[in-house]
Amino acid sequence: MLQCHDVVISYGERRILQKVSLSVAARGLVGVLGPNGSGKTTLLKVLSGALTPETGTVTLGGQGLGTFAPSLLARRLAVVPQETHLAFDYSVLEIVLMGRYPHLGPFEFEGPADFASAHAALNATGTDHLAERAFNTLSGGEKQRVVIASALAQLGEGTPDATTAGRVLLLDEPTAALDLRYQLEVAALLGRLHDRQDMTIVLTTHDVQFAARVCSELVLLGDGHVIAQGPPQDVLTTEQIAALYGIRVDQAAMFAATVSAGVRP
Amino acid sequence: MTHPLKRSVPIVVGLFALMVLAIVLSPLVGSTHINLMRVFDRSIPFESNVDAQIFFIARLPRALAGALVGGTLAAAGVVFQGLLRNPLATPYTLGVSAGASLGAMIAITFGATLPFAGAAPASLAGAMLAVTVVYLLATARHSGLSTTVLLLAGVTLNSFFSALILFVQYLANFQDLFRAMRWLMGNLDVTSYAPLAGAMPFVAISFVAFVWLARPLNLLSLGADAAGARGINVRSVQRTAFFSASLATGAAVSVGGPIGFVGIIVPHLVRLMVGADHRLVLPASIFLGAGFLVVCDVLARTVLSPMELPVGIITAVIGGPFFLWMLLRKR
Amino acid sequence: MDAVAKAMTIRFRHALLIAAVACAVLLQGARTTAAPLRIISLVPAVTEMLYAIGAGPQMIGVSSFDHYPAAVEKLPRLGGLIDPDIERVLTLKPDLVIVYGAKSDMAARLARAQIATFPYDTGALSNVTGTIRALGERLGRQKEANAEATRIEHGLEEVRVRVANQPRYRTLLIFGREAGSLRGIYASGGVGYLHDILSIAGGDDVFSDVKRENIQISAEQVLARMPEAIVELHGAMTPQKIATERGLWSQLPAVPAVKNNRIYLLSDEVLTIPGPRIVDAARLLADALHPTTKK
Repeated sequence: MLQCHDVVISYGERRILQKVSLSVAARGLVGVLGPNGSGKTTLLKVLSGALTPETGTVTLGGQGLGTFAPSLLARRLAVVPQETHLAFDYSVLEIVLMGRYPHLGPFEFEGPADFASAHAALNATGTDHLAERAFNTLSGGEKQRVVIASALAQLGEGTPDATTAGRVLLLDEPTAALDLRYQLEVAALLGRLHDRQDMTIVLTTHDVQFAARVCSELVLLGDGHVIAQGPPQDVLTTEQIAALYGIRVDQAAMFAATVSAGVRP
Repeated sequence: MTHPLKRSVPIVVGLFALMVLAIVLSPLVGSTHINLMRVFDRSIPFESNVDAQIFFIARLPRALAGALVGGTLAAAGVVFQGLLRNPLATPYTLGVSAGASLGAMIAITFGATLPFAGAAPASLAGAMLAVTVVYLLATARHSGLSTTVLLLAGVTLNSFFSALILFVQYLANFQDLFRAMRWLMGNLDVTSYAPLAGAMPFVAISFVAFVWLARPLNLLSLGADAAGARGINVRSVQRTAFFSASLATGAAVSVGGPIGFVGIIVPHLVRLMVGADHRLVLPASIFLGAGFLVVCDVLARTVLSPMELPVGIITAVIGGPFFLWMLLRKR
Repeated sequence: MDAVAKAMTIRFRHALLIAAVACAVLLQGARTTAAPLRIISLVPAVTEMLYAIGAGPQMIGVSSFDHYPAAVEKLPRLGGLIDPDIERVLTLKPDLVIVYGAKSDMAARLARAQIATFPYDTGALSNVTGTIRALGERLGRQKEANAEATRIEHGLEEVRVRVANQPRYRTLLIFGREAGSLRGIYASGGVGYLHDILSIAGGDDVFSDVKRENIQISAEQVLARMPEAIVELHGAMTPQKIATERGLWSQLPAVPAVKNNRIYLLSDEVLTIPGPRIVDAARLLADALHPTTKK
């Protein structure tokens, strides 16, 4: 579904991504796992089209990202940032409705279809009861779910658009800023969305256990290279973990043991 | 399920009505008594109809100028706040008023020797110069408009132009210096419709841009990346917001001087009333800003009559404490 | 014995005290009565007064704004009201410095340097002759000062008599406004030397009731006060520019001064310097308001 090939990105002298190639299958839940500074967030920006690679290509459904009209791309590909801070007091419903932007003309107001989509998205993320609340008064986990709802509305949740499976949801470190309870909430939500099998989900994380528990497939990214790609139980070997995080093998072995216990069946 | 916009529409309509009321009633108020019958009596020739002249030359243009300047500054404040994602930004944060003030200072100080007359065109030219410099500074290193760099460039230019203003004031003789200081305090006594007509095209162009900007500004408050991911051309939105709000501010300042606080307290009050959606905040701010400044100007010309109290002092006296309250409430 | 000694000591102490006081008084007296020989004037109006009472040769420095009499062009320029060059003032070793206002920063710094100052404030017209006489006292030139003050008083009286039988126009006296529009008008209020001169020159200030030297007014006030004559003080301008600026008043056709074309734009510097040439200023105003009495 989403592919990149030989992508190179550098900031000044520093190479962030060195010939990264990646293929994300439709309906998968792929986790890009790596330590801080490995290039995860940069890779996500490349995959979302926010960053154009110096060399290499990125395609969505076989079509180059750069060739999409911005609103058409936005209808198929949504991004959830690590954290969302608002300068002004929007309500939750308003935030979710903002996801409908690419579906509307320049001066068009949201219509019944957009409201239906927003409510479907609120419903899917279990945030119906928050619709009237001010976004800034929510907890971290609630905020994250609302932003996911907004992304779902953007991808046409609850409308005929949603039945086509060619939709991609990208999440940057969805749990990094959350404490355990909210991590579990978000993990459960991602699991539910994955189970629906109507979209492709790509997320980045540095949390090995979270990645093992949620993702159907992992990409290990170390120092701008793809080290391994495959199902968690194949990729998360003691050696790979040790190499990826630069820790001793005995330390990694403990990790691998706890991880394999938590891997999705 | 009602549209969140619909609930606040009556408030916007109410603010519009208040603005119209302020504009219509304010020419009836003043230090001099005028006879309305005489004002509209067509049988008296205008040349000798003092009541009509007080109404149509001294008061009505002032009311309209107050509305134009107040509405424009409030709207420009909204756009700058949206662009910088900071509710404490003002129309003057990015150096527009410093440029306008420099232009006006030069015109007032060297007015007798300059080929053109009047502080208004000079202040508009100064504002445009400042806007261009800030834009070039902000885009020199990055292709996009980083709000941090924009803010830094604006603050730097503000202090640089302030220094230039001091230099011009240093060269000025005493009387010009005095008048220049007074220009900085704001004055809406335009005495004719010409300054309004001069500023109108710029304001109109900016307002067209504001209409287009309303929804993108909503998304921009999620952050530039998040807005881009929703299909917004962030760069063109930022550029349009920056130039249109700057142009509007420059035009408003050229009419009334750098009147403070309207551009920050009005948008803030409006958000308390109608929420954060720019499609409501923008029109509501225009109406409330216009009505607010018209009322402030009535105070300016009546409180110390026959002396004129600078309208900027009135907005500051009201706005200063309000601003502090806002700051304290935030924390 | 003890008591006697004590009494003696007390008496001795008294004597010492008296002697000290006497010395102080004498010294103080000596310092103020000796006529200062080296004078700096940072006030153009006072510079003119000093020359008029014959103290010109004692002048060793003037402000940057001094242009009259011609002799000042040869003297060192020591800055203006807001930026006097205190270092150069001190280097010139003056005995007396004329400054604006007794409480100014400049006055305080000179006091610390033990340099005598003569504070000056613009005020009513009577302040001009009053200052001249006070300078005469200070410089030991009472005779010259009195003669000059009397000359001014006679000159003003002459103008007053000249226009006595003329109609007294209700006059709007404008100190400044924005070029190219009728905005930001500064007008004379009911106090100050220009207000007083206007009265001598046969005009009644329309803002006599406002007890301030100058006030900012709006177009509405011009219409409300209905002046019969408008006098504007301007900097030097080309005749073309004067015509444009005068033409702006046609925006307020109901004002009698506009209707009767009694609008006068004057640009002579004597109008802004309340010194000995104040008589010329009064003549200028009288000539403008009552041209038929012009000699």
